[in-house]
This record gives sequence, C-alpha cells and structure tokens, in this order.
Amino acid sequence: MGFQKQEALQKIERDVFSKIINECISRKVDFVLMPGDIFHVNIPEMSVQKFAFSMFRKLYEENIPVYVVYGSHDFSPVSNSVIDLLAEIGYITKVTQATSTDDGIIHLEFITDKATGVKITGLAGLKVGKDRDWYEVLDRQSLESEQGFKIFLFHGAISDMKVEYGASGDYMPLSLLPKKFAYYAGGHLHKFNHQKFSDYPHVVYPGTPFAGYHADLEENAKGQKRGFVMVEFEQTIRNVEFIPITNTTYNIIEIDADNRKSESVNQELQEKTTDSDSAEKIVIVKIRGEMTTGKTSDVNTSNVRDHLVKSGALAVNISRNSLTSKEYTITGATGNSRDEIESNVFKENVGQLRFSQKKLLNDEGVNLAKKLLRQLGQAQLVNEKKNEYLERVKIESLATLEVD
Amino acid sequence: MDDGLVVGQVVGGKFGDIIIRQKSGTDLEIGDIIVSEENGTYLVLQVFALQYGSQIQDRMQQMMSGVNMEQGVVDAQFYEPEFVNYVLARIKPLARIYRENGDVNIPKSLPPFFNKLRLITNDDLSFLQKEDDQIFVGYIRSGSKVIKEAQVWLPAQDVFSHHVLIPATTGRGKSNLVKTILWHMLDTNKVGALVLDAHDEYFGRNTLGLKDHPNARSNLVYYSPSNPPAGASRLTINLQSIKPEHFEGIVDFSDAQIQAIMTAYRNKRANWITEMMLTDPTALEMNGDSRRQGETAVSTMMVVQRKLRLMLSLEKDEEGRIYSRHEVFESTTRGIDTVNDIIQHISDGRVVVLDTSRLGDVAELLVGNIIATGLLQKYKDAKTTGELDRMPVATIVIEEAPRVIGEDVLTSKNDNIYATIAKEGRKFKVGLTAITQLSSVIPKTILANMNTKIILGNEMKQEREAIIASASQDLSEDDKNIASLDKGEAIITSIFVPFAMPVKIPLFEDVVKSRQQYITKPGKTRVF
Repeated sequence: MGFQKQEALQKIERDVFSKIINECISRKVDFVLMPGDIFHVNIPEMSVQKFAFSMFRKLYEENIPVYVVYGSHDFSPVSNSVIDLLAEIGYITKVTQATSTDDGIIHLEFITDKATGVKITGLAGLKVGKDRDWYEVLDRQSLESEQGFKIFLFHGAISDMKVEYGASGDYMPLSLLPKKFAYYAGGHLHKFNHQKFSDYPHVVYPGTPFAGYHADLEENAKGQKRGFVMVEFEQTIRNVEFIPITNTTYNIIEIDADNRKSESVNQELQEKTTDSDSAEKIVIVKIRGEMTTGKTSDVNTSNVRDHLVKSGALAVNISRNSLTSKEYTITGATGNSRDEIESNVFKENVGQLRFSQKKLLNDEGVNLAKKLLRQLGQAQLVNEKKNEYLERVKIESLATLEVD
Repeated sequence: MDDGLVVGQVVGGKFGDIIIRQKSGTDLEIGDIIVSEENGTYLVLQVFALQYGSQIQDRMQQMMSGVNMEQGVVDAQFYEPEFVNYVLARIKPLARIYRENGDVNIPKSLPPFFNKLRLITNDDLSFLQKEDDQIFVGYIRSGSKVIKEAQVWLPAQDVFSHHVLIPATTGRGKSNLVKTILWHMLDTNKVGALVLDAHDEYFGRNTLGLKDHPNARSNLVYYSPSNPPAGASRLTINLQSIKPEHFEGIVDFSDAQIQAIMTAYRNKRANWITEMMLTDPTALEMNGDSRRQGETAVSTMMVVQRKLRLMLSLEKDEEGRIYSRHEVFESTTRGIDTVNDIIQHISDGRVVVLDTSRLGDVAELLVGNIIATGLLQKYKDAKTTGELDRMPVATIVIEEAPRVIGEDVLTSKNDNIYATIAKEGRKFKVGLTAITQLSSVIPKTILANMNTKIILGNEMKQEREAIIASASQDLSEDDKNIASLDKGEAIITSIFVPFAMPVKIPLFEDVVKSRQQYITKPGKTRVF
C-alpha cells in the first residue's frame, strides 16, 4: 500500500486490499501471514495509514491474528514504522524475535499461534539483499530441531525459485533458509510462485495483490493474475491455492519502432490511441525498438496522454525506455574517475547534436551538460520535503539552462 | 664469498652442461639451485645430474673394494679421502640477475672457470617480489630444501588467459595444488573460474576447503545437486538450456540421429529434449515414403531417446514429467537461469565450483560445455562492445582434460568448446586450466598454446617427454628431475617466469590455518 500516486490507482490499490481482507474474513481463516512490504515505505502518508488501520482492525475484531515481517520497503532499523504502530496496538504481530550471541550467531524464537498451535518465526528483508548476512549466521540447528508444525516468513528473492531467463536482482540460495519447516511464506517477488523442494516442502510467494512496480501494470495488462494464497493444513499442508482477485481492466498499446521513421511511429501511435476503447481502463503505451531516423524525443507522447485521459482512461502509463534511434545513440566512454567518464561520454556524443543554440554544442555544450547533471543529481536535504526538493532541483536546473 | 658457504667449484663442461666438483661435507641434490657470483651480477644455476669423480683409476678402486670385502681388511681407508674421491655435479644456468636493478635475463655466458659456488639464499630471490594481481603458487625449492621466504607469484591475468596445464600422476599433490591456486584466486575478483569438481573435494563440505577462505562468501559460489550446505546453490540445469551443439565433441551421433535432433530443435526449440523424450517412437512408423523409412525413423528416435536417457539420467514420472535421477536436469521451469547465473558469477570474478560428483562423465562434460559456450560468447560480446578490458580473466578448470582435448576426441568428433577455447580463448581473456595424467594424448598444437605448465612428479617417460617437448623453457635435461619430484614438488615452466622454477606447493591445510589466525571474530549481530 502507498505505492500508487494517481488517485484512480490508489483507489484500486485499496479496493484490492479490502477485497483480500474481506475474503479472509468470509473464509474464516485461522491467521494471516504477510511476509513484508505491506507498505511501500515505512511511514506512508496519513491516508494510507488510516486505511491500513481500518483494514487490520477488521481482522482484529474477527479474532484473526496477522503475522508479519518487515519487507525491504517498510523496514525500520529503529522500529519506528507504521508496522510497529500496528504491532504496538496489537493488530499485527512481528514474528522476528531475535537475539545474538557474542560471536554474532542469531537465535530466533518461535511465536505460537494460540488457536492452532502453529509455530511461526521469520526474518525481515533488507534492501540490496543485506539480510543475507543474517541468514549466514543464523542458528539453524535450534530452528530445525524444533518440533511441531512450523512456518517461516522471509522477504527476499530465492535463486532456486527463478522461473524466467535473465531475472536480475539480489537472489540468495534456498539453502540459506532453515530446513524442516512445513511452509515458507515469501515476500519480495511480485508474481505468484509455489515450488516444492526436498527439505523445503512448500516455498510460496503470493506476489503483489495489484502492482508494486510500474512494470506490474504492464504484466497485469498482459493477463498476469494477482491475488493471495490460501493454505489448508492440519498436521501437514493439505492444499496451497492461489486465489485470484480482480483489480481493473487494461488496454495495452504496443508500438514496434524498429527500422522506422519517427513520423511513421507517431502516425501509428495516433491511430492506435484514437481507435482504442480506454474508458475506465488503465492504458499502457509501450514503444520499443530502434528508429532509423528522427530522435526519440520526436515521438510525441504528450498528445497521446492527453487524448487518452480525455477519453476517460483511469491512468495512462507510457513506457519508452526501450526506444532508441540510429540517428542518435549514446556511445559509451571510459575514464579513470566519475568526472572523467562523464566528460568523455558527453564529448563522445556532443558531436551528434544539431542545434542552433551554440551553447549546447562542443566544449560549451559538454560543460553545460555536466553542470546540468550535477543539478539533477543533487540529494534531498535533511528536513526538506519531497515536493520542495523536486521544485528546487527544477528551478536550479532551468536556471543552469538559462530557461525561464 | 665466505668459504663456509661454498658447495662446489666450476671445473669443466660446456654451456648448458657445466661440471662442478662438490665440496666435501656438502650434500648437493638433483634440483638444487646454486649461485655463481660475478661482477655486478649473479648467475643462478641448477643441478640436473650427479656422478662420482675420483683421482684413482677405476680398476684400482675395484681392487681396493676386493681387498676390503674379500680379504677382511676392516680398517682399509683412502688416504685423504675427501681429496681423492668426490662428487661431480652437472649444472645448467637458469638466469642471470643484475644486482643494481634486479633485472632477470636469460644467461648467455658461462660462469668463470674455477669460480666457487654457493647455495641460493632468500636474498638472491628478491626479484620474485609479489606485485598486484598475482597469484601464489608455492615456495622456491632447491632440491628438497624449501626456501619459505621466496614465494612464487604468477601474474594471474596473463597466466590464466594463456592457459595452464597441470600434468600429474595420481598421488603427487594435484588436488592440493589446485586447491591452493583456487584459494588465492579468492583473494581478489581478478580471476573468475569455473571448476568442474568431479570428486567434490574443493569446497570442503566436511573438511577444510575453499569455504574457509575469508572472502568465500563474496567470491566463492558452490553448486551441488544434492543437499547443498547453507549458502550453497542447488545445481539444477533446465533442459531448455541445452542446445544440440552442446553435444559436439562429446557424444557421437550418427547423421540420421543428428537430423532427428535438429528436426526436434527446429520444431520445438528450447523444449526439444523434453519433447523428444515424450515422443512415442511407434507414432513415427508412418513417416517417410516407404515402410522402411518409417522403421528407420522409429529406430532412430529410439536410439536418440536411449542415448539422451543414459547421458542425462532422464526418467519420466507418472504425470509424464521428465526428470533426471541425479536431480541436475529439470524439464519444468526450475534451473531456467542457472547457466546465466553461473556465467555472471564468473564474469564478476568469482570462483564457481560445481559438484559434478553425481554426474556421469558425459553429463559432467555437457554441463561444462553449456557454461563454457555461454561464457566465451559473453566475453566475445564484451570485446565487441569494448567492455572486455574491465572484465576479469576467466578460466575453466577441467580434470582428465584428454576427455575433451585428447587427440582421439578431436579427430573423431567435431571441435568442442574446450578445444576452441584452447585455440582462441586467449584473445577474449578466457582460458583453460587443464589437469591431466596423459599429456601425450593432447595434440601438440594445443599443448603449445598452454603457456604455463605446473609439472608435478611423473613416472611415465612418454608423458615426461611430451611435457618437456612443449615446455616454455628448455627442460631437455630435466627428465630425471621430473621423475624424481616428490609429492608437492613441482616445476613451473611458463612464458611469464624468467626460468623454470622448482617450487614446493604448501599443504592446503597449512595455507588455511595460516590465514585463519588473522581473521577477527565478529561481534554481536543486530537484527531489525
């Protein structure tokens, strides 16, 4: 929750979460597991918090415990997050109960679910896979020798679970998880994935319920099912079922710009968006390929966006990251320092530019580009709000360009 | 020179075969390294043969022996025996070192006649100082004496891209040497390595091994198909990663079988193996224009299925899913990215150890083939994009190397990826580290491309001859020297060392223990 910035998408985000909570209540589940990244940041804006509290209160009032670990997005090293607030008032339970010995070994305690006797423990996820450090020094013996029906919550990508070529990111091997748990509830990966391994009978990622990245919307548009996982168990796991939850309808417009002119790409874009039925839909416009002539900026997407919004689209997501042009391609360059690399890249490429403004060309252009890069690369100041930060960078960058 | 240090004096011979008289009371050995001090330089020489010398004629000596043994004269002695009888050592020059700047040159002159010689000391070997990006191999050895302060470090980037050959018979310390080299690779990310570990001996599941290196967590990746220890990865390779060309040079298929395989690959692409294994051969009976052609198609399919089943240990479960008994090959989505992951690790400068102990010979080579093919391609692509300079050198450690680069393999089958790497990998910073008992069956063209050879003891004359003939330095007088190399003793011959270096490889356990004493213990771990 809290990832979406557009109002229409925020509404879908909440609707989906609400549906899941209602589904859990109507199915009379014994407890709910949330293996991290419930929130996009550890202290989301107040409206998100308010909604979350209302949802977790519903579960609480139905006597359905919720067991969670921090995810890489919502963890707080000082336990000051909305997760901690929810835990403090008893709506959810953080299952990571860790102590460390002098030699760095981490011992995890189990939390026992009162109604079922299920023993639950787990570890939070950290950014860039830093939680791997914890798994390396985990006292696995005590976890593995514990008797009973055990569940382990984790938040991180497991390399053994990959189902696609070329998946990038920080993966860790399954062998780092302690063995002999009945169920491993995983967070972090955005698609449902359930696999069985020797010593790890059920490793399950439910995936994101709606969209946690912009790319998720594209996947949704292509038919990716989103939802949650229902697990039926007694002494052992009897069934693991993915429950799909519908979110909204989509329209995807794809343009292959390979070996085409920018005019031709614009024309197809215009035709496809004019003909599309986009009302009450999320529209994904994806332009990819290498054009023969014209700059990538010649492909006009702002008109397209305006048109789609006027046609009643819930949201418009335009992706042109994979659009390049033979007329203007960035050539890489090397150097001994960051500054030298930047200079060399600009010098290597400035010759391709055809502008009437002389200050954008040659050495003057390189210097201006470097100045602009510095402006755009500024960090947010302490106590500076994000909108203030963005405005400041914008003003300073335009001043560098001497544009009003 | 202090006379107490003198071990001999030049008394004759010729260039490459100098004769010295051993000083009484000293005990020269084959392989001993001695020094002739000259004006501003010193010559490093090595003993390659020992023989007796005497001032008394042979017949007289034989008569003396008769008197001694047959007449029972017990106290018969030579008058001034150390003067009359002695040992002559034949020595050859290895290098001339200039004191002023430490330059090492190939010697082109003889030491002064009658010059007194001494054994080499640590100070004489100061030119062997470690520089950046070098890899430790062992200590300089003079005969059986180890000079521990004189460590031999090889330039890793050059050595591994120009291929390494480790000829060794069983029990001469081959595993110890490979482990020691891999251990030092883990110090940095300058060399990436793929190690096909057929005996699962390098990682050290239950003993000391590479896992005990302080950088193991970041620089070592271990894949095992069965019960991988915590932190290790499961060796699962999806059948979709296998292409028909990966069998080249490893398996013999008839023309008809190749055609059947290519047809399956054309029609089913990545799923060709699964589809072939699930095909009912009898359904092909109607293929072709005649009954005979149909029967041929059936029998061809059955043979291909049998070969694939045997090579990859494939089985079909009751749901019709293809799996391998050793759990390495998978037909579902599992292991889909393993090959890419491994290639990425190697090109990031990590040592990747594959436990292939449960795989058959062909399956092991196939796994290596798939990865090596992808690795070479990645490095070729990097050369095209100009990124190769920033990438670490990569080496593929392959045991029983004649299985893939043996003369019979390369003549009876197409060139495989290993032969391609041996011939052209150097241009792309990809090399082979080939371990073999039988150097003689590796073609001369490939042996000549192996520019570093770490020669361990070998009793077989034919093998010694093959090694000597392809060495980077002249080892023509070292036949006996190689034969007499004890466990852990080696000779390094390489275009990257100034002379053929006799070395002693330290015990891997000692290397590990010496490093462990410097590891600081961690404090408490904080968990959020």
